[in-house]
Amino acid sequence: MRELTYIAAGREGLAEEMARDATIFVVGEGIGVRGGNFNTTQGLYELYGPLRLRDTPIVERGFVGMCCGAAMTGTRPIVDFMFVDFILDSIGEIFNQIAKIQYMSSGRLKMPIVLRGAIGIGGSAATHHSGSYFPMFVNIPGLRVVVPSNPYDVKGLLKTAIRSDDPVLFLEHKNLYNNKGQIPDEEYLIPFGAAAIAREGTQASVVAVGSMVRKTLEAADALAKQGISIEVIDPRTLAPLDIGTISESVHKTGRLLIVDETFAPCGIGAEIAAQVMVAGFDDLDAPIMRLNGLHTPTPYSPALEAAIVPTTQSITDAIQALLAE
Amino acid sequence: MSTQIDTTITIGKMEALALYRQMLMIRRCEEQLAKSYQAGMIPGACHTYVGEEAVATGICAHLTHRDAVFSTHRGHGHALAKGVTPRQLIAELYGRETGCSRGRGGSMHLFSPEVGMMGTSGIVGPCILQATGAGYSFKLLNTDQVGVAFFGDGAVNNGAFHEGINLATIWELPVIFVCENNMYATEIAFSYATRNTEVAERAASYKIPSVAVDGNDVLAVHAAAAEAVARARAGGGASFIECKTYRTRPHAEGMRDAGYRTADEIEAWKARDPLALLQSRLVGEGIANAGDFEPIDAEIKALVEDAAEFAKNSPFPDPTSVTNHIYSASQ
Amino acid sequence: MATEIVMPRLGWTMETGSIAEWLKKDGDSVKQGDIIFTVESDKAVNEIESFESGILRILPNSPAIGESVPIGTPLAYLVQPGEPAPFETGVPASATAAELVQLRPASTAIHANGHTIKSERVDQLHPTISPRARRIAGELGVDWQNVAGTGRTGRIVERDIRAAAEQIAVTTGSLRVSPVARRMAEDLKVDLGSLAAALPGQRIEKAHVEQAAAQVDSRRGVSAETRAPLSTIRRVIATRMAASLHTAAPVTLTTEVDATELVALRKQLKKDAAAIGLSVPSYNDLLAKLVAEMLIALPALNARLDGEEIVQSAAVNIGIAVNAERGLFVPVIRDVQTKSLRQIARESEVLIERARAGLLTTAEMSGGTFSISNLGMYAIDAFTPIINLPECAILGVGRIVPKQVVIDAEAEIVAIRQMLFLSLTFDHRVIDGAPAAQALQRLKQLVEHPLVGLL
Repeated sequence: MRELTYIAAGREGLAEEMARDATIFVVGEGIGVRGGNFNTTQGLYELYGPLRLRDTPIVERGFVGMCCGAAMTGTRPIVDFMFVDFILDSIGEIFNQIAKIQYMSSGRLKMPIVLRGAIGIGGSAATHHSGSYFPMFVNIPGLRVVVPSNPYDVKGLLKTAIRSDDPVLFLEHKNLYNNKGQIPDEEYLIPFGAAAIAREGTQASVVAVGSMVRKTLEAADALAKQGISIEVIDPRTLAPLDIGTISESVHKTGRLLIVDETFAPCGIGAEIAAQVMVAGFDDLDAPIMRLNGLHTPTPYSPALEAAIVPTTQSITDAIQALLAE
Repeated sequence: MSTQIDTTITIGKMEALALYRQMLMIRRCEEQLAKSYQAGMIPGACHTYVGEEAVATGICAHLTHRDAVFSTHRGHGHALAKGVTPRQLIAELYGRETGCSRGRGGSMHLFSPEVGMMGTSGIVGPCILQATGAGYSFKLLNTDQVGVAFFGDGAVNNGAFHEGINLATIWELPVIFVCENNMYATEIAFSYATRNTEVAERAASYKIPSVAVDGNDVLAVHAAAAEAVARARAGGGASFIECKTYRTRPHAEGMRDAGYRTADEIEAWKARDPLALLQSRLVGEGIANAGDFEPIDAEIKALVEDAAEFAKNSPFPDPTSVTNHIYSASQ
Repeated sequence: MATEIVMPRLGWTMETGSIAEWLKKDGDSVKQGDIIFTVESDKAVNEIESFESGILRILPNSPAIGESVPIGTPLAYLVQPGEPAPFETGVPASATAAELVQLRPASTAIHANGHTIKSERVDQLHPTISPRARRIAGELGVDWQNVAGTGRTGRIVERDIRAAAEQIAVTTGSLRVSPVARRMAEDLKVDLGSLAAALPGQRIEKAHVEQAAAQVDSRRGVSAETRAPLSTIRRVIATRMAASLHTAAPVTLTTEVDATELVALRKQLKKDAAAIGLSVPSYNDLLAKLVAEMLIALPALNARLDGEEIVQSAAVNIGIAVNAERGLFVPVIRDVQTKSLRQIARESEVLIERARAGLLTTAEMSGGTFSISNLGMYAIDAFTPIINLPECAILGVGRIVPKQVVIDAEAEIVAIRQMLFLSLTFDHRVIDGAPAAQALQRLKQLVEHPLVGLL
């Protein structure tokens, strides 16, 4: 066991896979010699050179479309977007091409491509460097969506993403980058579609996504001091979504809250609520509740920025409101 | 900008007749599809390639199944020239399980990776980027394969054109960009859409080797492609070929073909029919005689009739298979 | 081998089309690329070029010009010189149309709003309960109707049920149901809970369940209805009728007319005309001629509204409503004012025949200035016909029926007369009530003394 940061754990997973498979290459702005704006590829250029660590001009549509063609012809591209907001310039290539190629070719073509980037609100990054967008990707058939919340998961899930023959959106919250965690010395992979129970409890279930997992665990700690027992579930992948683990938890507790920094309308909380309603209606002792970031562009000023994201306190309050139902 | 293409006939009789045969196969398939469309056998769109046969034929003559072709909504000719059979093509447009895309695609989504037909697309532009990506794969894998993008003048003002050509050029990727400049994007004249209608000249501004040829002269296309493909295979990077051509049927079957272009213009291009041009050239220069074409005509006629019959008798896909292959089996 | 030519599909949504014009005649030689005919689809007229060369052989029963037929309908063949057309040899036509049907399976019904939103108000007398608490109440046999809820809105939640169960230590469950009744309730999907609520204190027996099931059935009702898409003609009629009622300001005037002389005249004509092999004028023909006479005298009714102008027509073109199998058609007899009764009879005979065979062209159905609709043969006395826009009036003709009529009240003379109701619907935007009434009065006089009008 070693202690690694979130960013180092992800980089270790990438390095292991690049050493294992020579068809893997990374494209992005500043991911070559510079090692990535967030140090996602630090040290790899020296090992693998410019063909496999390819610095690009600022043409998101161009290099995403290019990587689609590469994934169809025998290589395994990884696109490192830096801030995932930049992905929006390439959305047609992702939704219309990358997501559909396997289906349109009846599975005769594979689409092994990883689209990774930093999501989330924090550090006064303002509105063009703070988005998360994952509900949009969950809506599209053919895409996998991964939102790791800790260093252990980011390494195990990134290795699975790179080995997957499906296109994977790998979305890493930038506020988590410096969080530390224990990483095993031996190799491990984490399968998609397997939620983690981050904390066991009996009185209410809380599904938390990405950076909200840590805040929710803090809230659960605070409530435990008052004798309240909360179960915290980290879905880890949103497509596929492990609704079974969530439903089982609700069967036990009867109450469900979904905490998600992204927007509520048509969001992942709405989806989970709808599915639990069908799978476990008779398990519900209270209405399913959501706590989301405000439905607004992200402002710059720290005073404003702090006002739109769920906090440990607002999560605690939401759990108490749920228990009072 | 563009190098002069030497149009002296340098290929042999058999090779020349093979080009004729390929063009004729495309022509007859398209005529069959137009007919089938009117008979209600094609449930969706149908964009024919009539008049542009020389381009796909002249380019694909230099490719093997290992090379990757990416094409557009007007892609029947590319698919056939790349090795998709008339049976697979017509069955696909009929929405049958035996179609090259198993009835999932229709006219605008022809996939046959077995022969290197990596897909046609209903969106203008992506094929340029995907061919660039194939070039990236081949360079990384260190093979002598090439990626080829076919696209129309309608793609030339699209960002994908500029982004793809630029990336392929700066990274010296084995890619051939083939612009079929047929003067109209749907019904919008290219002369309206740009102040510079010389596509090869615009491509050349990215410092890619670029040439403009008569797209109705299969020998000219063939010669230009020979040079470009050889350069790519030898590690010399990407090339650009503008083929000036014309579609003589409407944008899509069932659409009008008047109002945006004149009957005189259509007739003038019909008079430059690529099949007739090749035939008269070969006969005129004593390379072939009229008798050489008759068995080809008969063979292709029978081939296409068989294909239409095959398609008609093929089953529709099983509705319970409709969600297959959205994801791979890997995860 | 003969090549079939069918009504082509010219667009994604096209389902029917009609031949606008044949540009080649039966027997003409056709080259590949020649325009054979033009097709009128919902959008425009399209030229149809030939895919093959050969001799054009138009089917004897090919659709008429202007007749709308489904795409895929056979129209003609191209044959080689000397080759007979399939319709001459009895070889069946290809199954193009049938294949077409196969290709277009019944469309999946998609409901824009698949959800039924219940707007029933919550019955305040019943306590609310969470789904989980209700489930657990069932499991523990707790009658939750009497449990106090501690949820935020007074809702009964799980803890309330568990507390109640402990308190009353229920052992057998609150519902007292016979085993047969319980099994039957399950089969018939009768909710025992609500049945118990309706029968407080009683044990539920088989008969209670049967009764409840019967009530549910009768509430559900039996619906037997069939649905069929509107035919093209039905759609046209629907659109035009609705447009007329939405656009015009229709007023209907009705008067009873003594048609005894008209009946006698028709009887005479029938005898004479039939004897020399001429067409026998129908009552509609006679009325058309009389109406023309009236309109010449009172041209204000032979008019139409065109934007800000009223256009009076010199010609009297009378539309006759014809009921054909496929729907209502109104062929027009032109220049009635200049034609003899014999001419009118001959023309109307042909037009009615063509209407019933579905062969009328658009031209034969347009240009009317006034219409007549006769429902007398269905024993209708009077009705309010709908104006056939852009015309401004229409005459509704009822049945002719013998009635006892007062001829001279003072002398107390009554007689049996052939009586007829005429109803005139006119567009009040174009003409006022008094002149319209005068017109009908004039027509009444003409019908009562028809020879004057027919001279």
